[in-house]
Amino acid sequence: MNKILQTRRQLLQTIAFTGIAGVAIGKFPGIAYAADGATLKIQFERELDSLDPGYFVGGSPPCDVNWALMPALVHYGRDGGWIPSPHVESIVARDATHIDFTLRKGMMWTNGFGEVTTEDVAYSYDREAVSEWKGDYVAYDHVEIKDKYSGTIVLNQPFAPFMNTTLASGTGIIICKKAVEAAGGKFTTEQPASCGPYLISEHRPGQVLKLRSNPEWNGAKPAYENIDCLFVTESSAAALAYEAGELDIAKVSADTYARYLKDIPANSSLTVAGALQYMWMGMNTDHPKLKDIRVRQAIQHAVDASAVVQGAYSGTAEQSYGVVCPGLTGRRDKAGYSYDPTKAKALLKEAGVSGLKLTLRTLNNQERMLTAQIIQANLAAIGITVEIIPLDGGPFWDMGQEKKGDTWKELELWIMRYSSGPDPYEPFQWFVRGQVGIWNWERWSSDEFEDLFAKGVAETDTGKREAIYTRMQEIMDETGAYVYLTHEPEVFIHKSSLSPHFSPTAEMIVGAFKEA
Amino acid sequence: MWSYLLKRILLSVLIVFLAILALFITLHSIPGDPISIALGPRATPEIQAEYAARMHLDKPLYHQFVIFIGNVIKGDLGNDLFSNRSVLLILSEQLPYTIVLAITAIGWSALIGIPLGCLSAVKPNSLLDKITGIVSVGTIAIPSFLVSIWAILIFSVGLKWLPVIGAGEPGDFGDQIYHLILPAFAVGLGWVGYLARMVRASMLEVMSENYIRSANAFGLKSRTIIFRYALKVAILPTITLIGVGFGALLSGTVFAEIIFSRPGIGKIIYNMVLARNFPVIQGAVLITIGMYVIVTLIADLIVSWLDPRVRDTL
Repeated sequence: MNKILQTRRQLLQTIAFTGIAGVAIGKFPGIAYAADGATLKIQFERELDSLDPGYFVGGSPPCDVNWALMPALVHYGRDGGWIPSPHVESIVARDATHIDFTLRKGMMWTNGFGEVTTEDVAYSYDREAVSEWKGDYVAYDHVEIKDKYSGTIVLNQPFAPFMNTTLASGTGIIICKKAVEAAGGKFTTEQPASCGPYLISEHRPGQVLKLRSNPEWNGAKPAYENIDCLFVTESSAAALAYEAGELDIAKVSADTYARYLKDIPANSSLTVAGALQYMWMGMNTDHPKLKDIRVRQAIQHAVDASAVVQGAYSGTAEQSYGVVCPGLTGRRDKAGYSYDPTKAKALLKEAGVSGLKLTLRTLNNQERMLTAQIIQANLAAIGITVEIIPLDGGPFWDMGQEKKGDTWKELELWIMRYSSGPDPYEPFQWFVRGQVGIWNWERWSSDEFEDLFAKGVAETDTGKREAIYTRMQEIMDETGAYVYLTHEPEVFIHKSSLSPHFSPTAEMIVGAFKEA
Repeated sequence: MWSYLLKRILLSVLIVFLAILALFITLHSIPGDPISIALGPRATPEIQAEYAARMHLDKPLYHQFVIFIGNVIKGDLGNDLFSNRSVLLILSEQLPYTIVLAITAIGWSALIGIPLGCLSAVKPNSLLDKITGIVSVGTIAIPSFLVSIWAILIFSVGLKWLPVIGAGEPGDFGDQIYHLILPAFAVGLGWVGYLARMVRASMLEVMSENYIRSANAFGLKSRTIIFRYALKVAILPTITLIGVGFGALLSGTVFAEIIFSRPGIGKIIYNMVLARNFPVIQGAVLITIGMYVIVTLIADLIVSWLDPRVRDTL
């Protein structure tokens, strides 16, 4: 028995010693914190489903990966506008429908597929124009190939946002014609050939994507040799991982942003990468309870959007005055209505409405539910009873679409948030006549609005575009169907030693990351 | 024993079939159009139609079920709709992480919970018993995700001893163990309490049996009575509980897999339900059901081996 006891004691002593020694030296096998070596550790919010620009899955492409690996004619600069990419000698808009470009010589595809050529550019854009993402290419007609390295993009109509919202975006990626055709015309997460500052050295689905600098890359050397992109889908978990030193950069949610504004971790900085999201409360103008515009206007005057900014977003979001987001042409500093409960009550009285009961549908997440509760209290103050209906993404995104059932007929109020691109034409495309019953759930239309939308897309003069988009928002105000709420910022926390670079839509451009 | 084994296997097959049927009906009853959720708002009608045909969504539900069962029998779980990778391959990459986490969590909780339950039962109403009772109820009552967050705040953010995210580098055993400590702690903590309470209750019942009194009367050492005679019987319901618990953890580790950003079956089911990626969901749930049935079958067989009377109950 003594022998057994001794052995057990020895075992316990051994375990204790190993633990203490491990803690003391802080070096268990394989541990490497983010700050170690030349490897930058960044958070990726979602798994890679497809890197093929024609077949991106869902609502947003994995630009952060593609921009590090693939050629493009233009990139987003640090001011949010477009700049020529490292793959081109020059790119110039000759007139409203012709863009001349010349590729740099010697930009080599991996896997022995030769140089990046004009033929690759034409193939990529032609393919994109008939793909799932063809909406980005409505103005594209064709590429005139002059020679191996130069050509002209020909548009079928003047389209002011083409550089910013098409060529610089995720769908402006150039793919290798020979390689893609050899791969059967389509690919998913394994690119048949790439040509960028990085290569994928390892992809463990659900865990990590490792980018390593491309030895064949003859553009400017990236600041970081190695980048490990860790898939952390939960934003709170990403913040904790950042605080534990396992990430160098992570995206933070509104509540974490508010916390960091008060008490930021040591040696850290916050960067607002953009606020290209617009959230509003919509009203169904066809619903019998909301048919009278005075009722809708009463609701507009009853909701205190600044209370939503403070109460639901801890003051971290910008108050919205329209669908044009901060920093874009046409952004307003006031809406066509103001918070005025007295006026709201008067409008209801004038409409002869009392004891009104309405439903308010929203996605079931923390910020939206808080927003709904604030609106509920605001409307209760003018005598409108609101029932909040929280919904999962599935039924929520279907409810206003005529093809997806009859819920659109019952829709009364809802809280909606869309993302915008870096051009003001983008938000308006969802409210044109053709979108009624698809994404225009408010179900109104206006000839003037249609006319202005077409003019805005073709107009290149900034002043004229500003006037157009301001007027379009006034028309939206006049429908009484909108209560603009917030522009939620996309915020990242990162090491102060890192100078990150983002697209206007807050995707990371890792190839342009540098030391601060 | 063979008759019991045969009956038990047939029952398992029936359970798997019914579970698949329930899964199929549930999955197709989720509100929202799977095509628009999966493809996003930009998908053209042609692409939507192609997707529907590829997923057999254009066929009646019973037809889809028959196709699915037929493919399962052939060992074909289909391909991921987006990455086009084999579902079997995807799951074979993820499953080991979940199994390791579940075994580690249940393992450490059993190593602590069972002796704790025994000690409590041997000295009922003692200070140790009371402390064990409080600790057990406490660990059962605290939600595991809270344990995870506290553990991260203390051991990762505060002390920087243990990592938060990932499962460690493949091939680096030490690193993998190191990444396993916090998730296994968070998942297993509640089970310490469950097991301690279960073993205590069973032991108290067994300790009052006549044969234990006889053993005491014969002057056998209490250690021999407890571990050789009492625990052998008292452990039976605990084995069943561990079996059921392990099965539940195969999909129940989802919170740990999300918070600790670990790969695993629970996390993949969660992500794929959001994306309405039906082939992966069906495959993952099928594998989980299969594992669950196998583990409970093994637990039942162990129980029937230890206590032959159980064989007559089926």
